[in-house]
Amino acid sequence: MDMDPHAELTADAVNDDAPPWDRLLITLPSFAVLAMIGGLFKSYSDTANVYVLILGGIMMWLGLAEKPARRASPSRLGRGGMWWLLPAGVFLVVEVVNFALGSTYNHPTLSILLSDPLEHYSVRTLSYFAWLSAFWGLVRR
Amino acid sequence: MTLIRFTAIAAFVIAAALAVAVEVAARREHSRIPTLASICGFVMQYRAGRMPVGRIAIYGFWWWLGWHFFAR
Repeated sequence: MDMDPHAELTADAVNDDAPPWDRLLITLPSFAVLAMIGGLFKSYSDTANVYVLILGGIMMWLGLAEKPARRASPSRLGRGGMWWLLPAGVFLVVEVVNFALGSTYNHPTLSILLSDPLEHYSVRTLSYFAWLSAFWGLVRR
Repeated sequence: MTLIRFTAIAAFVIAAALAVAVEVAARREHSRIPTLASICGFVMQYRAGRMPVGRIAIYGFWWWLGWHFFAR
């Protein structure tokens, strides 16, 4: 961890033979539709489980099969990467402490905190869209 | 809302704000801080032999996160 992350980028995984559907104009509206469908399924339901498992499975398959074009990634990280330990550390401490204290109303873990907002269709749909888009970003890395 | 719950929520907000601040700093020109996407890309390059362990780990984590919030 001693180099500028933007200085060394590898292009070994870049796939130039990207399929024709690998465009933002196609993927983003598709994710919007998929998110609107996903928002309909309530937590703990079989349909919600099956739906998220299918979507995640497809994304994982696309990523491992190297179907979409990939962006280059740094071959080394600089010391600046250590800055990310700050938010990650704060989050981990808060999450672990709240979990250890029983994950209650007064000591909510993130999933307890978000369970109520995620009951609303609009929040659920937007979250689904964000999850899919981020997953797609990872697939393209 | 009790003070202790407010403190717990505030701590999550602080963690999120810190993440946003680091990401913004990483996106400045000539920044030596990698973006979160760069870190993910770096981790995903890790292989054990021909097995893309880093990629499987990151995808698996994100998949689990979706299942945890949308299905569980």
